[in-house]
Amino acid sequence: MGTILTVENLGKSFKNTQIIKDISFDVKQGEIMAVLGPNGAGKTTTIRNIMGIMYPDEGSITFHNHEQNEIPRHKIGYLPEERGLYKNVKVMDILLYFAELKDYPLQKAKVRALEYLEKFGLKGKDKSSIEELSKGMGQKVQFIASIIHEPELLILDEPFSGLDPVSQEVFKEEIIALAKKGTAILLSSHQMNLVEQLCDRLFMIHQGRKVIYGTIDDVKREYANFKCTINGKNDRATLETIPNVVRVEQNEDISILYLSHDVEAGAWLKQLPDHLEIKELSIDRVSLHEIFIDIATGKKEVGVQNA
Amino acid sequence: MRNSMKVAKWEYRRNMKNKSFIIGLFVTPLLFLLFFNLPSLFDDSEEEEAPVSVYVYDELNVWDSVQSALPEDELSNWSLMSDPMEETEILDELANSEKTAYLLLTEEAIQNGSVKVYMSEDVDENLVYQARVFEQPLVIKQLESLGLSEEEVAVASQGVTFESVVPGEESSGTAIELEEETPEEMLQRIVPIAFGGVILFSILITGMMIFQSASQEKKEKVAEIVLSSLTPEELMKGKIWGYFALGITQVAVWMALILPFLMWKIDLPLLEYILVPETLLSVAIAICGYLLFASIFVGIGATVEDISSTSNFQGILFMFPFLPFVLIAPIMGDPSGIIAQVGTFFPLTTPGVLLLRLAVLDTWPWIEIIIALVVLVITIWFFMKLAGKIFKTGILMYGKDATPKEIWKWLRQ
Repeated sequence: MGTILTVENLGKSFKNTQIIKDISFDVKQGEIMAVLGPNGAGKTTTIRNIMGIMYPDEGSITFHNHEQNEIPRHKIGYLPEERGLYKNVKVMDILLYFAELKDYPLQKAKVRALEYLEKFGLKGKDKSSIEELSKGMGQKVQFIASIIHEPELLILDEPFSGLDPVSQEVFKEEIIALAKKGTAILLSSHQMNLVEQLCDRLFMIHQGRKVIYGTIDDVKREYANFKCTINGKNDRATLETIPNVVRVEQNEDISILYLSHDVEAGAWLKQLPDHLEIKELSIDRVSLHEIFIDIATGKKEVGVQNA
Repeated sequence: MRNSMKVAKWEYRRNMKNKSFIIGLFVTPLLFLLFFNLPSLFDDSEEEEAPVSVYVYDELNVWDSVQSALPEDELSNWSLMSDPMEETEILDELANSEKTAYLLLTEEAIQNGSVKVYMSEDVDENLVYQARVFEQPLVIKQLESLGLSEEEVAVASQGVTFESVVPGEESSGTAIELEEETPEEMLQRIVPIAFGGVILFSILITGMMIFQSASQEKKEKVAEIVLSSLTPEELMKGKIWGYFALGITQVAVWMALILPFLMWKIDLPLLEYILVPETLLSVAIAICGYLLFASIFVGIGATVEDISSTSNFQGILFMFPFLPFVLIAPIMGDPSGIIAQVGTFFPLTTPGVLLLRLAVLDTWPWIEIIIALVVLVITIWFFMKLAGKIFKTGILMYGKDATPKEIWKWLRQ
């Protein structure tokens, strides 16, 4: 897979506050890359710098072999986090306007727009005014607007926010389909379950700095320790004495035992005390969601991993 | 430039498909036509007004010399009386008649210096003014009755002219004619400038729509999607050109609807008056005026989400195009005075004041015009730069109106 976008040592300050610093990652053809981070981490600033809506103070952005100022914007699709559409215009008109802005042939754009409207359950809405659409329908039109011109790189800033589960599924399928066709996708989201399901690699940013960067599997292997969930009446003090248990969380009869990084699941299970009451037991890795929360709340200190 | 044209095309098409704009486009000239015809419509609702029969007793033999001065279509209503009538007799007669008037041009009237116009109650006072066609021949008769010779009468009735004498000017020694400009000449002078004024007015109206367009972009959060394809400068310029085209379309529609009507109604070749070199200057002034105010509106538009949320500060900026209206009276009073000149060189009032002065001045002050236009063009360039700075930051600041302090900060960036 060839590299489509390379971001190197990106830095941006507003007044005297450094918003992002030393941000470096790349996005390859056909892969879905996630940019994660809590609110205010610098994700949108990073994306706006890539899109040329802001100009970085430091670092470089390369799209294929084009540098910052020469990036062919018509090859990039963008769905911003703060998004809307002109209210009093027809769906097809606005889609064709965005296609025209991207220098995409209008006839072809019309065909694609009709195809996508049908695919997203909006058949026959091409002549409807935007203000007649529901919020979810509007979001689908925005999504179509970002991909109408067959971009090589698609940047989606919080594409699932405000969507119902059905629409989320439709978007998810389409994002996967686009990646399969070779579109490089850079996606920012707070929904870690969707990121886990969708993305090949992730870049986590916190307070403007890179904290995690790697494939989903590598990240989970590196940062997602095992946790053991036991259903049974057990004393917290007893559980805390079990080797390799770092932390215990209890909610009535359910106890979650967070294990240390170097534990081997099989060997650890064998040395559980006989007197424990175990009605049910499961062992799995900490989810991306939990890693995210730990980092965002400062419970977990992580070093930088390279992909 | 290509991207700006795409935006301009979009803004143009979007508005041309907008029902309220289309309605406004056609309703405005129709309203004009309606109000123009309103008085005659009311007149038509009544019975056809009967003509006034005017009976003239011409003891002084002046009738022949004034016949040609009376409107042709009314001449048949004037008739000569062979015998004089007493005042009481006339008043009795008038009491029982309608639309009748008597005019007694007698030796006695010459002596008194007063001609009585006897009218029935329903006759308009304007008849007295119409009767003034007899004034000049009666004055001559009056002078003759004083025993002046024919030459003396000719000299006395000629009046006095004033001559300007300026050293070094070829025109020195020429008399300033006190003759009034004919309505045709006045129209010939005013129409090209008024045409520029209409264009300025029209494109300023659509120019104000730029404000709404920019704030709508911000309110509806579309700016970021659009700015992923072009630069803020291209978006701003596209809006300015798009609304300029809309303004010109508006003028074209207005002219297409109103001009033929006016030409038919007032029976003057208005189109010929418009198609003169002077129109080029007035249109150029109008376009400069538009570009100046468009840059202000687009900049302010990017700082607010709703026109109703505009602060006093932004409201004041919105008043700028109407500043020349305040100066109308002093400029009309003295078109070359100090107020007129200051208004000409102050860029925010230049377009309006310049058009106003050109309409009233017989000789155009070319040096002033050129300097004013140069100042205006430099100001437009400067304002566009400032608007670009405000627009770039303001348009992406969703959900918040910018304060004057913030705008000042952006300008200094």
